[in-house]
Amino acid sequence: MRTRMAHMTARGGLRGAGLGPGDSSDLVVTIDGGFSAPRPAERGEAGAAAPGEGRGAAVDRGPLSLTLSPLTRGEGKHLQLIGRQPQSARSSRGDESSALGPGASGLRLGLALLQLGVIGMVVILFVGRGHAAEVEASQRGTLFLEPSNIKGNAGITVFHPQTDVSATFASGFGIAAGYAVDVVSGATPRVFGVRNDSTGRPVDAISGATKFSDVRQQAHGALSYSRPLADIAASYSYGWENDYRSHAVTVTTRTDVLDHNLSINLSYTHNFDSVCDASNTDSVGIPLARQALANSKNCFKGTPDVATRSLNIDAIEPSLTWAVTPRLALQGGGTALILDGFQSNPYRQVDLGRAGARPQETLPQFRQRYALFLRSAYAIPAARASIQATGRVYRDSWGVRAATAELLLQSYMTRFLLWSLRGRATAQSGAVFYEDAQTYFLHGPNGKYWTGDRELSPMQNLLTGTKLTYLHIPESGEHHFISELDASLKFELLFYRLESVFAPNADRKYAGILQLAVSARF
Amino acid sequence: MRSPSFFKACLVLLAVGAGGCRHIGVKPHQRELLADRIMSLEGNPQERAADEHVLSNREGAVGATGTSGGGCGCN
Repeated sequence: MRTRMAHMTARGGLRGAGLGPGDSSDLVVTIDGGFSAPRPAERGEAGAAAPGEGRGAAVDRGPLSLTLSPLTRGEGKHLQLIGRQPQSARSSRGDESSALGPGASGLRLGLALLQLGVIGMVVILFVGRGHAAEVEASQRGTLFLEPSNIKGNAGITVFHPQTDVSATFASGFGIAAGYAVDVVSGATPRVFGVRNDSTGRPVDAISGATKFSDVRQQAHGALSYSRPLADIAASYSYGWENDYRSHAVTVTTRTDVLDHNLSINLSYTHNFDSVCDASNTDSVGIPLARQALANSKNCFKGTPDVATRSLNIDAIEPSLTWAVTPRLALQGGGTALILDGFQSNPYRQVDLGRAGARPQETLPQFRQRYALFLRSAYAIPAARASIQATGRVYRDSWGVRAATAELLLQSYMTRFLLWSLRGRATAQSGAVFYEDAQTYFLHGPNGKYWTGDRELSPMQNLLTGTKLTYLHIPESGEHHFISELDASLKFELLFYRLESVFAPNADRKYAGILQLAVSARF
Repeated sequence: MRSPSFFKACLVLLAVGAGGCRHIGVKPHQRELLADRIMSLEGNPQERAADEHVLSNREGAVGATGTSGGGCGCN
């Protein structure tokens, strides 16, 4: 929210800028804008959570240290993770027994909600415009398609509409509200294990997927107060779906120093999340006997077959932005996240072969995640373009290490058209307890945790895409109801490179992302 | 144990450094290019939220980009 406002300020400055197209220069105001601060984290429900009672051994909450000691693994080694552990950042999901029905009806509901959002946005606009110095409304729809190369497997489809409205008042106060929906449908394997060919030889990970659909909704609101040298914002968001509830509170501050050349930002978020899980009352202390959640039908209804687990997340994100030269800006920062609670996918089972049938995925209760990033933007006025580069490193207490590099090229093709090209590559190692399906099947788990989560496996991702934006910026001196309008169309491809055919979701090699957005300022 | 003069020297260096920092960066009239939307390091917040939402469900290394989790049975 705060960022949105800072961003609006910076964009206003475009009119006086040399890079942008139509720009007279009556908006000296925005020179103060400098750079916007990092977006306050809208911490949604990053995963499933439920304090795994009786799962695993003593967990010390010290920082990143791991102890491996000989023990289990069928008869293998035993992993003891010392440190707050993880969350497999899973998304909660409903399965085919979801009350919302299959994908088509979920999509219809999503569209209906989208329409409702648009209507609400228009109402806020007209009511708020009379009192606000500036009102901005944005509508965005993202379609994510991840096909499977297994015949008959539908892959995953996600439709994600978002509506946001914000108003800034002359007094410095601002309000914002937004609403987003995930309409998810497709098929996903419930069991992570091997698939055998006609001779009984393992050929790949199990891909016999179960159809499911789910709708996740999130509403958020924010209040902010801005002064020329500093601002503060507080926001709240609530996300809900069949098997997951999330409350998140975020506070963000920004301070400009050294004549606005340095901007110091700090954001803190706390999540109070609840996840539906199978009650597993008969398997307390026996992870190998834990059963997966069959469906979300009885979630949050207090029936004895299901339980509600908690997940608490603390996230702190400091960053520093520096206007280095008239053409160069730098930003550096980091994130520290601590997750405490149930983080497994309650529906997922892992085939442990000789070690113990197909128990529910079991992940550590605590996870510490750390990341640092450095980003730069360099203006190329001769080409009316800019190039941005980002580098990021990551590690966590589950043993995942990652590095990411990203390049973004943006250029004004005409006064009204902005074109951009994006490339991003990331590589990560797997969690220390991760094994592929064949290893789990042949040798059992690597310690007391097991997972079938692709995000915890060694992998490399490559993303590339392009975006075209239409800008409507009235000439200087003209006054219209809509002071600025832009519409964009973006298409991106995301390629996955997994370690083996026995890795989770190895049947999905790529995904396509299509996004359409309209934003207006009044 | 460091001598008091060492700390005094550090303080002096810090003060000089901080004074020098007054001249880092750019003047207000030099910020035309930096104020352009294509120089925004955060980009559009809504777009960024959508992008991070997609990636946070596909990679195990979220964070440090203002990202956040978010349900979405995308696995």
